[in-house]
Amino acid sequence: MSRYMLYLFCLPRQTKKDIASIGAKRQLLYFLNQKIMLKIKIFLLLLLPLLWSCSDQDAEYVNIPLEFKVPSNFPALAYNIALNPPTEKGFELGKKLFYDGRLASDGVVSCGFCHIQANAFTHHGHTVSHGVNDAQGTRNTPPIQNLAYQSIFMYDGAADHLDLQPLIPLKSVIEMNGDLNAILEMMKGDKEYQKLFAQAFDDGAITTENMLKAMSQFMVMIVSSNSKFDKYRRNEAGGTLTSDELAGYDLFKSKCASCHATDLQTDNSFRNNGLAVNPFVNDVGRYKVTELTTDYYKFKVPSLRNVEVSGPYMHDGRFGTLEGVLDHYASGIESSATLDPILKQNGKLGITLSETDKKQIIAFLKTLTDHQYLTDKRFSEY
Amino acid sequence: MKNTLYTALAIVALSLSLFSCSGDDNNETVSGNGKITLKFDNAFGANDLILDTQGNTTSNSEVLKISLVKYIVSNVVFTKADGTTFTYPKSKSYFIADESTAAGQQLQLTDIPAGDYVKVKFGIGVDEAQWKLGASGQGDFLAQADAAGMMWTWAAGYKFFALEGTFTSPTVLTATPFMIHTGKTGTDYNYTEVTLDLPTKALVRSNITPAVHIITDLSKIIDGKNKIKLSDNNMGGMGAMIMSGANLPLITENINGMFRVDHVHND
Repeated sequence: MSRYMLYLFCLPRQTKKDIASIGAKRQLLYFLNQKIMLKIKIFLLLLLPLLWSCSDQDAEYVNIPLEFKVPSNFPALAYNIALNPPTEKGFELGKKLFYDGRLASDGVVSCGFCHIQANAFTHHGHTVSHGVNDAQGTRNTPPIQNLAYQSIFMYDGAADHLDLQPLIPLKSVIEMNGDLNAILEMMKGDKEYQKLFAQAFDDGAITTENMLKAMSQFMVMIVSSNSKFDKYRRNEAGGTLTSDELAGYDLFKSKCASCHATDLQTDNSFRNNGLAVNPFVNDVGRYKVTELTTDYYKFKVPSLRNVEVSGPYMHDGRFGTLEGVLDHYASGIESSATLDPILKQNGKLGITLSETDKKQIIAFLKTLTDHQYLTDKRFSEY
Repeated sequence: MKNTLYTALAIVALSLSLFSCSGDDNNETVSGNGKITLKFDNAFGANDLILDTQGNTTSNSEVLKISLVKYIVSNVVFTKADGTTFTYPKSKSYFIADESTAAGQQLQLTDIPAGDYVKVKFGIGVDEAQWKLGASGQGDFLAQADAAGMMWTWAAGYKFFALEGTFTSPTVLTATPFMIHTGKTGTDYNYTEVTLDLPTKALVRSNITPAVHIITDLSKIIDGKNKIKLSDNNMGGMGAMIMSGANLPLITENINGMFRVDHVHND
């Protein structure tokens, strides 16, 4: 909106006629020589700051911090949130990156390609996922939920800081096959990214540091803490468990919680839970990272939240149902040198579970489904 | 008489010039900032390193032909004659030394307070304190490392030191690939700091940029304090890939003893 328009309204008729007959540049000079110009100048001066702020709204945007509270029934936070506090624009940038296929070499395989919200950010129906060029992976897509409470990531613990975890799928040839420098170039040439980086970070720089911090801000905010189980634990409305669910919770506490500990159902340790080794893959698990023979075939104890929707189960997705998982623990355990001692007590392999026990445990596991998190628009692609 | 006079004058002139030279040193004010260049000259034993074609023999009679040498240098600290230190700003201190490029053989550091320096300390790799901060403080270094091939894809981590090529030995008769990559594993961090004395002082002034010539004796990597045989690490004859496990702390210890300052130019 031109400056001229505003004060044209207040001018006497003769002056308006004069304007009509003079060119734009000379208009300004003409005005400056009029007695009434002083009033107009003052008017303009007062108006100008408003006009500037109207057109430069973006530059004056102040990044709003997002609230992050630890639910009362959760364990302690592991992520150093003070170093990278979630903000509105940091979150928005992280989400954009999460769903942007251009981070992959084929322009298609974004993080969201395998991490699908409705399935607790796992890849529904897939035992293992396929990345760029249809490359087949060897492991099942893990969920994205409550990651700020974990200190080590991936089934074999190959990443021990949330900021740096995305580097693994980003650079893996069989996943996104990405190139950090190509990604930086792409973002530097993209107006949306330029704007978001400028708003999300004090230095406004498009660097790998800021890119990863934005992704962490997005991931940290993906919290699942409002399942029926949570409401039960915090005595909130909607937290009444049925008798089967209560019985299942008791069974869970006595038979499962030694490894699946806390309200996040994991003690973050690596264990061999008696799965038969697939000879074609021979996934040695934690051994790959530590090369300690005591770590052969050990995998991270996963959280069980939202298991109802995050199948198939285990590091290679071999069990299609929760019933299959419990059948394994009851009667399918394979012995080996590194089998967890908990699964081999008094010479008996596995955990004693009757058919009723299994039914009730599964009823309990379904109370861990958090519909608010599964449908939260803040995390959604569309 | 004339000759004596001229001789006397000559002697006086000479003395004046000589004395005024030393007088200048004493009267010079040391202030402001300058630069230092650290030159990393890769060698194998007593020989200069020539990539690809030169055969380099270890004490275990293994012959290495080296095609790649890269390492991350970081956390540079200089010590003055009076014992005070200057720590190069941490976020600017991460560099990738690379035998194959001119730029990778010397690192220029700027805004060094003028003074006489007698020691230099640097780390090989990314230090654990920085690692624990995650992405914070990295700036663009992850992207730089990625471009230089100094990142792992199977784990989130930097390669601190990379040495690659082919080798033969009494038991491995055809040229077989080898790769030695150190970095953080599940059990060890494998970062090491090296402190070197400068044989002559590095005089940093606003108009003098000393060049510190460091010799990196690559033979020490597997033939240093700890002896490692590539032939023992050649699984199924497919190559000696040493990238994790118990060998890395041993190699890191060797790396610590690999550097020395050969000389310092002050010009």
